[in-house]
Amino acid sequence: MNNILEIHDLNVTVRGDEILNKINIEVPEGEVHAIFGPNGSGKTSLMMTIMGFSDYKITSGKIIFEGEDITELGLTERARKGIAVAQQRPPTIKGVRLRQVLDYAYAQNAANARELEDLITANGMDKFLDRDINDGLSGGEIRRVELLQLLATRPKFAMLDEPDSGVDIEALELIGEMAKRLFSIDISHPAFRRSGLIITHTGQILENVYADKAHVMLDGTIEGCGNAQIVLDTIYDSGYSQCLTCIKRKVNQ
Amino acid sequence: MSDLHQTKGESIMNESTWTPSEEIEIKDFVIESGSSQPSLIAPSQFSKIDAQELAEVGVLFDNPERAGTFVVQDFHTVCSQTQAEGLEVLPIADALKKYDWLQKKYAWKLIDPDTNKITRFCANQEIPQGYFIRVHAGTKVKFPYQAALYTTHTNIAQAIHNIVIIEDDAELTLITGCATQHEISSGVHLAVSEQYVGKRARFTNTMVHSWGPKVSVRPHSATAVDEEGIFESNYVSLRPAADIRSNPTTWLNGDGASARYYSVILGSTGSHIISGGEVYLNGKDTSAELEHRAICTGGQISQTGLLVGSNRCRAHIDCSGMILDPGKKGFIESTPGIRAQHPEAQMSHEASIGKIAPEQVEYLQSRGIEERQAISMIIRGFLNADIEGLGEELDARIDQIAEMSGHGEGL
Repeated sequence: MNNILEIHDLNVTVRGDEILNKINIEVPEGEVHAIFGPNGSGKTSLMMTIMGFSDYKITSGKIIFEGEDITELGLTERARKGIAVAQQRPPTIKGVRLRQVLDYAYAQNAANARELEDLITANGMDKFLDRDINDGLSGGEIRRVELLQLLATRPKFAMLDEPDSGVDIEALELIGEMAKRLFSIDISHPAFRRSGLIITHTGQILENVYADKAHVMLDGTIEGCGNAQIVLDTIYDSGYSQCLTCIKRKVNQ
Repeated sequence: MSDLHQTKGESIMNESTWTPSEEIEIKDFVIESGSSQPSLIAPSQFSKIDAQELAEVGVLFDNPERAGTFVVQDFHTVCSQTQAEGLEVLPIADALKKYDWLQKKYAWKLIDPDTNKITRFCANQEIPQGYFIRVHAGTKVKFPYQAALYTTHTNIAQAIHNIVIIEDDAELTLITGCATQHEISSGVHLAVSEQYVGKRARFTNTMVHSWGPKVSVRPHSATAVDEEGIFESNYVSLRPAADIRSNPTTWLNGDGASARYYSVILGSTGSHIISGGEVYLNGKDTSAELEHRAICTGGQISQTGLLVGSNRCRAHIDCSGMILDPGKKGFIESTPGIRAQHPEAQMSHEASIGKIAPEQVEYLQSRGIEERQAISMIIRGFLNADIEGLGEELDARIDQIAEMSGHGEGL
């Protein structure tokens, strides 16, 4: 199986401070990987770097997407190649409506429009369309709006930053359904999936989206990886340090 | 004594202080053509170049959805036609001859001809140029009427006197496009506009300006609004002049009258623009809203305004600016003003100036939108924030400003 994303020895700084150190990840085509790690460990920075946000300066290493080195590519180019991120704290843009962004996405992918309009109506999201993007939205509403935009753009590689944090049970259900739909390229072929990364603390989103593998980050480095459910259970039972000891022992054996 | 703010006796003044434009010396400009009044022509008889120039300021000769067209070119009225019943349009000189009451009751009654040398110059024109527009009582004109005040020769002083009367229960949207031909760089445009909005009448005046880089513009506009009348003034400066000083004044004299000003100013390098507005809320339950939006790409812009509440009323003024590229001397200065003279006058003001936030641009880019297009979208949003119901023409003009400023193009 080909890797859709490969990251090799990636070092990243933000305003001169090193925040990611020697990151190595491979995500095969059709796989979804989870990223676990305590707050401040660099999970969001990793996603923002893959997307190409300018605050995140790559000082060494490479990002390979579909076999092409995209390390030097700009944000728009990466988005157009099929990379997308649903941010946890996206900016508010006064005067720019959600509908405008969706219209832009529909223009690139007209067949998607009707299907998505049905979803918007079914999920009661019509009211967000003519509001300024992310203005005055609750945590759950922001996540739904972010997911909606990803559904509209149909990326090849979707990254979700804590889609299940700080939302109530009702919203979580909707978010879970939207995430499931996002990663299911064809609902009648569950094994045929969109690739991506999901950051989660609680693992709740993984009840809707199966994660093939989990990576554990600590202090800006990937310290280990393993089966998503086992890693999550170990973190729940014994914390991050015990989980890493366990992963490293397995690697050494 | 500590010397925290000054070192070595250097001035603390920086370069970005106001560069006042020189006073206009009208005698430095050509003030009359020496030619006689030409025959009036139909809109279809204008040259392709002129039609294109005026289309940029919203005057569309081939648009069937217009109630008529009026054009002053340089020193003469060259087109004056109307095709809507109940809408009367005449060159101002003809109207003053035709109607005695116009001089007695309306001409120079809202603006004192002795206000300054510009008003004196306009008042002393032997044959005044400009439009007289009258909408008869109860007439609601379906399509906008369009007027162009157009300069096609260099270094001339165009002097205009307009009178608009919207009688009781009548409605009109007027689009006034003021422009110089693209190759004309210098000149002055002096204009006096007196506007009367009757009881329960509605008047929307959308003015679009597009000037040569060394043109000075001095509009004097005054509007009186009667009981429950509505006056809306939209102003878009598309291609800024060397200097513009505008302070339209409105008197809300009738109870329940309202006024709304909305201005979009683009200040590129070399331009000095003072965009003001005064509204006197004299009637009971009157309301006024002033929205100034400015984009600085190197010019100097002063947003001002004064709302005076002397009765039970509501009023708000909002000055917002976006600095794209101030260059060496550019700036935006905002001084919204309110004055309450009555205990039930509810008045508020706000002002904010900022730049485009990079995280906003990048957010849109992460959805696949080009950087330039993302900037244009944000500027468009800034210009239109919370303002609904703009006409298609003004929308198109604003899109143009957003597009051009987003691309960092000289305007």
